Amino acid sequence: MSEKFGVKVEEIFDTMPERFRPEGAEGVDASFGYDITGRGKWKLTVKDKAMSIEKTEDLAGCVVVTRAAPDTFVGVSIGKVDGTEAFTSGKIAVEGDIGALGLTFKLFKRFTPPQKELTVREYILDMFGTLESRFQPQAAGDSRIVICYDIGGKDGGQWTAVIENGTCKLAEGLDPSPSLTLAMKAKDWVDLMLGRVDALTLLSTARAKLEGDMALAMRLGELFAKYAPPGQEVVEDEELLVLKKVISVQQRFATGPVMGKYLNGLKEKKIFGNRCPECKRLQIPPREVCAVCRIRVEAFEEVGPKGNIRLLDTAYYASPDPLTGETRETPYAMAYILLDGCKGQEVFAHFIRDDQIDRIDMGWNEKKGTIVRPVWAEERKGKVTDIRYYEIDE
Amino acid sequence: MKEQFDTSNCFTIQGKLALPYSYFAGRVGSRFLIRIRDEKKIMGIRCNRCAKVYVPPRQTCDVCMEDIRDNWVDVASEGEVTNFTVVRYRDKHLPKDPPYVLAVIRLDGADTCLAHVVQGVDPAEVRAGLRVRAVFAPETTNTLLDIDHFEPV
Repeated sequence: MSEKFGVKVEEIFDTMPERFRPEGAEGVDASFGYDITGRGKWKLTVKDKAMSIEKTEDLAGCVVVTRAAPDTFVGVSIGKVDGTEAFTSGKIAVEGDIGALGLTFKLFKRFTPPQKELTVREYILDMFGTLESRFQPQAAGDSRIVICYDIGGKDGGQWTAVIENGTCKLAEGLDPSPSLTLAMKAKDWVDLMLGRVDALTLLSTARAKLEGDMALAMRLGELFAKYAPPGQEVVEDEELLVLKKVISVQQRFATGPVMGKYLNGLKEKKIFGNRCPECKRLQIPPREVCAVCRIRVEAFEEVGPKGNIRLLDTAYYASPDPLTGETRETPYAMAYILLDGCKGQEVFAHFIRDDQIDRIDMGWNEKKGTIVRPVWAEERKGKVTDIRYYEIDE
Repeated sequence: MKEQFDTSNCFTIQGKLALPYSYFAGRVGSRFLIRIRDEKKIMGIRCNRCAKVYVPPRQTCDVCMEDIRDNWVDVASEGEVTNFTVVRYRDKHLPKDPPYVLAVIRLDGADTCLAHVVQGVDPAEVRAGLRVRAVFAPETTNTLLDIDHFEPV
């Protein structure tokens, strides 16, 4: 019988001799009792830096007896359950000298469950080897069902399961007229069967393909009992609820005269900045006030539209667009462009044509970066997106 | 004195901000909602130290700071309005058409209160102390609205 954590109570006790740390047993001369609900009692005796463990009915003479359910005991032993918390919440009961219990903590190295992980190939063979035995006749009904499994990659293979008259027969190869065909790579199949990835993710990322009877595909989970790796019991998934929502907020952005001038300029294919009368710095987009001198800035200046690239910032992971909730394709790149007529830090930020990202050189000091030009939208509405992106000027 | 400036370039841009999010009910919240959905029973969690029963359930007792997540108890689907307000405006995120009564209800067997809608009574007639019972929704939404509303007993 395996516990919640895939480790038996007996394994914990049986491995005590090999996990024993004589240096931790300095000066310990006592017997400790363990009473594991439904599994039995064990008596640990430590003396002269040596130990013995025995399964017994008689815990007399123990300085302290620890009582716990199997899951709790195993959980604490392998470090998956917090011992102090288990004790304070009453999941572990201690009878006798609690102080003496502290001595036992130093006696053993922590139990590490043996590595049972199979290779992808071993999993595939085991998964298909157990397919017939996992078949659930009551879910199949009377109709004949033919399911083809096209499992790609070097660890994969091709199988066909034929379900009729309440039996399921698996054969190698693909049937020419299946009810349903599932195609994916071996690794993905293993992850799917072990619950490490869900079918929807595989399908939506095109890592898995389904062809044929979709209603049947939805019922696959009923047709076959859940797969469990050798030596492990099926752990039923706990249903956890997730509520997916989109909050939408109406908003209005008032441009004001300065941003309005800039946005209206874009309609005419013009890019306006404004120059501070005091520090002579150019701001693009233009602002009402110079951010450094804090004085009103009046004079507009048209710059660009071409420029050279100072910095390219490539995104490989895109967050959802807050305006649409959609996630754009990656990689995409944003560039800081020194438009003609600007100098120093007076850069303008915009996107670079996706297929040219690799060809962009960045400039620094006197060195110019790749020269780029804007690609304007056909219909311009006074938005930053009136420039669709910048492309190499060639 | 109002400063005059050239407004010829001023305009407004209409926009909409969409914020997709996922609310995870968690283990405790899921079990609570699933029992309502599948068995039409309301459960709470009891703190074994102070005996307080939490509805909606939570995994830690806020008085004792005990981990109480496994101590499930059934409570009644009937209880008492301890306080209420009348919602008189309409909004997308609100569960009912206005006006409706949003009440704080202490179910029999619980020590904490659950906020929910009371229908089947004129809002002007609702008083603290009103006995109400849960009416379960025919269609599930996997939310607390699987209890559609409460109605007077």
